[in-house]
Amino acid sequence: MRQPPNLDELVGSDLDPQERARLERVHDLLIAAGPPPEPLEAPVTLRPARRRGALLALAAAVVVAAFALGAALVDGSSGRSVDFTETMAGTAAATGATASLAVFEIDEAGNWPMELTVSGLPPSASGRPFELWLTRDGGLAALCGGFFTNADGWATVPMNAPYRFDDFDGWVVIEEGSETPLLTT
Amino acid sequence: MHLVEIPEATDGQLIVRIARGDRGAFDELHGRYARAVLGLALRRLGDRGRAEDATQEAFVAIWRSARTYDPARGRGAAWLYAVARNAITDGLRRTPEPVAELEDGPGRDPDPADEAEASWIAWRVHRALEVLPDHERPVVELAYWRGLSQSEIADVLAIPLGTVKTRTRSALARLADELDGELG
Repeated sequence: MRQPPNLDELVGSDLDPQERARLERVHDLLIAAGPPPEPLEAPVTLRPARRRGALLALAAAVVVAAFALGAALVDGSSGRSVDFTETMAGTAAATGATASLAVFEIDEAGNWPMELTVSGLPPSASGRPFELWLTRDGGLAALCGGFFTNADGWATVPMNAPYRFDDFDGWVVIEEGSETPLLTT
Repeated sequence: MHLVEIPEATDGQLIVRIARGDRGAFDELHGRYARAVLGLALRRLGDRGRAEDATQEAFVAIWRSARTYDPARGRGAAWLYAVARNAITDGLRRTPEPVAELEDGPGRDPDPADEAEASWIAWRVHRALEVLPDHERPVVELAYWRGLSQSEIADVLAIPLGTVKTRTRSALARLADELDGELG
């Protein structure tokens, strides 16, 4: 078995004592920890618990939606197929704000990857993030994700939805903790 | 197009974003902790295939449990460690195969407290290694876990010996910054 490396050989002997002690602590921890494993080859996938029937119904609903839109679009940057897009407009509480939501084809885990692009929505005065929700009967029904905009009011945010879209009737952006719509479909 | 970035997000901030369903935050956290979780699973299971399955389950548990994280009660790393360890242990209980936990040596049962300490140290160190730039990580791995001398590392990486020493010192200092206050 090989001997652990000698710290002085690794970093030299010209360090000040305080810094050397700090590095020696790390040196000891590296030896104690041992090597990390080789990286995973496959990315982790999320498999929300859902019934097969529900998944098929969701797939069917989106096929119909895509057909109604004419043809599936393709996201040029990633090559992912866009099943449908939604356009959102600012309410009186966020005049000038607009957003576009691209919903991509279902992934292998049964989730719907999405990308929300927002403009004209300055960061909230409270510092809290904004949230994208699915709505039903005029109320917030399912959270899709949170995001911050930059100083120019821009954001492009990847999100993910493990939901049946036909259970909902719209989308809304709010400030976290508020129920005042800022952007709606 | 302007991409919004939240540079240097802490683990805790990422967990909070995951609780809101932010898959991007999840991917970032996965990048930081995949090897640490896998390392923890390997320590418990000893088998690479089972450890990879357990790692998958651990990250699903992290995704589903993120809402239970309370930043006021501690650092994200400790919460992640607890969730991952519990998920791996739950998998052990479900598995029909005999448990193949690693031991320190023949006939020796590691003290549970020592084992827990060793697992925690490995967790934090393996996580901290992810902060090293690509040009610094190899000099650490070759020196500590391949047992190469500085001259051998210079030959393997085809860089001057002085560069090896500079990168090694820089990497250890970076790791010290990352680990300061958590393991001291």
